[in-house]
This record gives sequence, C-alpha cells and structure tokens, in this order.
Amino acid sequence: MALDAVTFAYPGAGTPALLDVSLAIEAGTVTGVTGAVGAGTSTLLLVAGGFAPRLTGGALSGRRDIATNRISIVFATPWTQLTGLATTVRAEVAFGPASLGWPRGSVLAACEAALRDLGVEHLADRDPGTLSGGELQRVVVASVLAMEPELLVLDDPAAELDPAGADALYALLPELARRGTAVLVATPDSERLARTAERVLVMEGGRVARDGPPAAVLDDTDVARIAWAAGCPAPYPLDVAALVARVVR
Amino acid sequence: MSSAPGRGHAVRWEAVRFAYDGAEALRGVSLDVPAGTTLAILGPNGAGKTTLTRLLIGLLRPRAGRVSVGDWDVAAKRPDELAARVGYVFQHADQQLFERTVRRDVAFGPRRLGLGDGGVERALGELELLGAAESHPYDLPAPARKLVALAGVLAMEPGVLVLDEPTAGLDRAGRDRVIAALRRRSVEGVTVVVVSHDLAFVAEVAERIVVLREGVVVADAPAGRLLGDAAALAPLGLEPPPAAAVGAALGLPGAPIRVGECAAALGGVRWRGAGA
Repeated sequence: MALDAVTFAYPGAGTPALLDVSLAIEAGTVTGVTGAVGAGTSTLLLVAGGFAPRLTGGALSGRRDIATNRISIVFATPWTQLTGLATTVRAEVAFGPASLGWPRGSVLAACEAALRDLGVEHLADRDPGTLSGGELQRVVVASVLAMEPELLVLDDPAAELDPAGADALYALLPELARRGTAVLVATPDSERLARTAERVLVMEGGRVARDGPPAAVLDDTDVARIAWAAGCPAPYPLDVAALVARVVR
Repeated sequence: MSSAPGRGHAVRWEAVRFAYDGAEALRGVSLDVPAGTTLAILGPNGAGKTTLTRLLIGLLRPRAGRVSVGDWDVAAKRPDELAARVGYVFQHADQQLFERTVRRDVAFGPRRLGLGDGGVERALGELELLGAAESHPYDLPAPARKLVALAGVLAMEPGVLVLDEPTAGLDRAGRDRVIAALRRRSVEGVTVVVVSHDLAFVAEVAERIVVLREGVVVADAPAGRLLGDAAALAPLGLEPPPAAAVGAALGLPGAPIRVGECAAALGGVRWRGAGA
C-alpha cells in the first residue's frame, strides 16, 4: 500500500483531515499510528485501507496504490461490525470466508484457526449478542482474521479488552506480519505500540509529523513522562528496562 | 488523595446476584463503599464489572440481594429518580448524547434537575470543550464525544459518579483532563466508582481497588498496596502500572504508584546522557 501526496477531506468539511501524506506500507510489517484526537489517525487508516472515500464520501487527491483486494478493518466498536445474521460465534466468524466463496473445509479450518488465535474457542456456541464488549471485540478480530487479509487495518482494537486480552492481541500482530500480512494499527496506547510496532507514524494536524522506530518517534509513554519530569535528558526511555538502564548508580 | 466530607453518598451492594438468560454474571457480591471514596473495579472481560455498576442506576435489577445509595434502597427508586444522586457515564458515549450542540447536551441534565448553568460551564471548561460548545456532538471525533458525555454527568453535580472505561480511546491530554476532574470531585467528597482496564489511570485516581472475576470479588485492597505488589497482581492477570514498576525496579522510597510521585522519588538521580 502506498500513498503519494494524498490529501483527503470529508464531505462538507472546511479543512482536509489528511494533508499531503506520502508513505509506503510493506507486506510482513507492523506499522503503528498515533496522535492526538483529531490528528487524522483514523482517517489515515480509512484511506490506507481504501475505505475512504468509497464508504465515507469526500474528496481524495494524490495517488494511492493498494496492491491487494484482501483488506480487512477492525474498529474499536465491535457491535458495529457484527453481521446481525449469525446466532453463534462460530457462524459469525465463518460468515466472512463463506461469503468469499471458499470451500466448506477451508471455511471451517480458517474459522477454527481464528477462534484459536483469539482465544475464543470456548465462546464458539454462544450467541454474539450475549457477550461482553471485550469478548465481542475478540470475536470480531477473529472474524476478520478468518478471511486471511493481506492488509489488516485496526483502529484502537484493544479499547474493549482487559490487559491480558490486549497483550494477547498485540502479541498476535507481529505473528500475522510473519505470515506476510501488512498490519497498520492506530492507538493512543504508546506503551503497546512501543512493544509491538517496528515503525510508528505520529500524526499532527492531518500530516505525518514523525515516522520511524518507536524509540525515535514516541515520547509520551508513562515511563517517558516520569523520565522527563525527573530531569532525564532526551531521548526519553519508553519502558521500565530502558529507564533503569539510564539511571547512574 | 484525601476525601473530604461533602456531597457524596455511601454505596452498598449486599449479597447481590444477577444473571443474563441463565448465565450468572454476579454470584453474591457484597461491597460497602463509604461516601467520598474513589473506588476502581477491575477484572477480566465478562467478570461482571459493568453489570455491578448498572445496578446502581436501576438499569438492571438484582435477582437477589440489595443495592443502596446513601439512605435510598435502589429497588424503591425509578432510574430518573436515581439520576439525581448517581451520575453514570457509559462506556460508549454515543448511548447518551442526543442534543444538537455540545452545550445543550451538557446542559440537559442539570436543567432537568433544576440546577443552574454554573456546573455546565465548569464541566465544559475543565474538559476543554468550550471551543466545541456550539458544535454538533456527532461532528466531533469519538474520544471527544466521550468527554462530552462525561461533562454532561459532571454538570449534574451528582453525589455518586460512576464511569465505565472513561479513558478508553482517549489521547494523553484527554486522559489527563479526566484525571484532574476526578481528583477535584474526590476533594469535594463525591463518591467515585470507575470501571477500568487502564491500571495507570486507576493508579492516578483510585484509593481502593476491587477485582471481580466470574462474578465474585477476588481482591479488595487499598490502591497503593495492591498496585505496588506485583506478586499479588500476577494471579489476577494484572501487572503493576509503569510508575509502580519503575519504583520497584529501582527500590524507590515510598513505593510510588503515580507518575508524579515516581518522578519526585527520582529527584536527584543522575542520568546517562542522550543515546546512552
């Protein structure tokens, strides 16, 4: 996926939500996106995944090349992604690959693998409508993974998850990259981005303000804040081990 | 954080049980929360956290047991009566926004309760929403809508404030505003109950922590003691927040759990230089 000088504005918006963005996302990588509210992180995902302006309306200028049509997106609001047609979690997860016309055996195999990857096999026979928000989020991610996307776009995918579930989801992203998927994940959770992404884009005012390895572009984890407030010189350590290593004892 | 006597009410769940279509969500929970306490409820997905708090506003009714807010038995009150005492911020703000402008939305509750606009302006100000006050709530990004929902509840000046995952999706600046607003309410004696997975946020605001698992209370301890104790957190599937982890790794005095406390405890240390 590559963007070259892309600017995008939502319908009726006075100012563009993305401004002159150029970047390339390679297969087999995890790229993080972060920024303040309104900086354009979610819009970047929609544009990078080809969902805007196709589903949102609006105007896009510049050049966008997406080298696959196997693209999936995960939102922070799982109930908006349910089919509404499935009465069990297994049927929900199988819906995507079945809709793609895969043979029955492949659908079932992909479904079971995705349920296992997200640790929700025990929910397979439950009605999705009876699940908690966190359980539902894992089911939605499983339903997306079952379609084996080549470009996976996730917008704050752990917002509903407990810490163990969030850790498990973020640990899965590099594994998906190893299988060849290009992963683009947006979140305000700098701690998990620092642990997961090999590259992070920091958005400001619709532009990519910084682009590089987490240690080079992030400075707002809690540990970094502690280091800054305690007089540590920049660049600030992002995690506990890095902070401890900077203290002279 | 010290709680002052003020407008808060005690909250009490007594042997409460609740089930969804036969699936037990709460299996006999008893908790007594004194007025003015800031309590955090933690636990894995599906533990019953949200169910427990929804009993406070009459949206759910227990199958057994009793829930009270101050001297009110919740079973004897309608949800609209309970709203005068208990302000509830849903996990998903869109469930509680319906007016045409942010200011009208935030003012809806206070007007219905016969309060003035003072609380409205205060809430808009402290959550830095004055610049968006005339915007339509749905023209704002989802995290900003979450702050609008919180402002609407703060403006009603409830004695009990219940927030379900108030920091999910917020950026650092928004999270800091929520922390500051809750600390002010705590000083004013408001009883605050937060459901959260964000332990760093919980460390900044909570005095007491209750951990639920499969509908029962599996831990109940002062925040400073539990969040600084990695051995106690591990079986609960939790890790100390970053400030507590830094404090433990360096053996800092006072066992800090908050960013500010940890930075203060680090005062005077010498740092290796840039790039070291």
